[in-house]
Amino acid sequence: MAFSNANITATSVEATEFMDLSRRYRVTGVPKTIVNETIEILGALPEEQFVDAALPTVDNPSPS
Amino acid sequence: MGLLSASDEAVLKQHLAAVDSRVSLLLFTQTIGGSESGPVAKQVLDEIASLNDKIDVVEKNFVLDTDDRAKYGIEREPAIVVLRNGEDTRMRFLGAPTGYEFVPLVEAVLLAGTGNLELDPATVQRLAAVDKPTDIKVFSTPT
Repeated sequence: MAFSNANITATSVEATEFMDLSRRYRVTGVPKTIVNETIEILGALPEEQFVDAALPTVDNPSPS
Repeated sequence: MGLLSASDEAVLKQHLAAVDSRVSLLLFTQTIGGSESGPVAKQVLDEIASLNDKIDVVEKNFVLDTDDRAKYGIEREPAIVVLRNGEDTRMRFLGAPTGYEFVPLVEAVLLAGTGNLELDPATVQRLAAVDKPTDIKVFSTPT
């Protein structure tokens, strides 16, 4: 996603190494995704659903 | 002794043969008083870089290279920034990329080195509409 749009930065965080970040973002299971400090997605989602959840302001032309 | 077995290395080398653009892996570590995983991160990156001449590892000092830290927004170490032909791909890794972070790192190197997005064309079209800075963090664990 980051590669496709210069406005997006994606960071993979090793949760056990950065316990302070894990606590701050309430990581109780992995994978857990945090978008712009506010949106939380727990677990792996199919691509379309992930974009729906991560970027709710971006229209989905063909919602499933 | 390497982290990868000879057979894993052979398979990885085959995958990385697709890399045809220069990929630089910037590794931010702190030598004195830094994280214990810094040397592990370096070993992982060195092993990946040894498998294709187009991939290199550029070591950055977390304490001294403050301009680069600011440029890439690095606040923790070890941290890895993936560049394609010297340009930031905005793909980052925090912590030693072992366990479940290893495959995403290899995929990031392949993406940077080939430019081949694995995303559905419809997703790429939707992502093009993102017009504000968007920060995505994905937490994973080594096992």
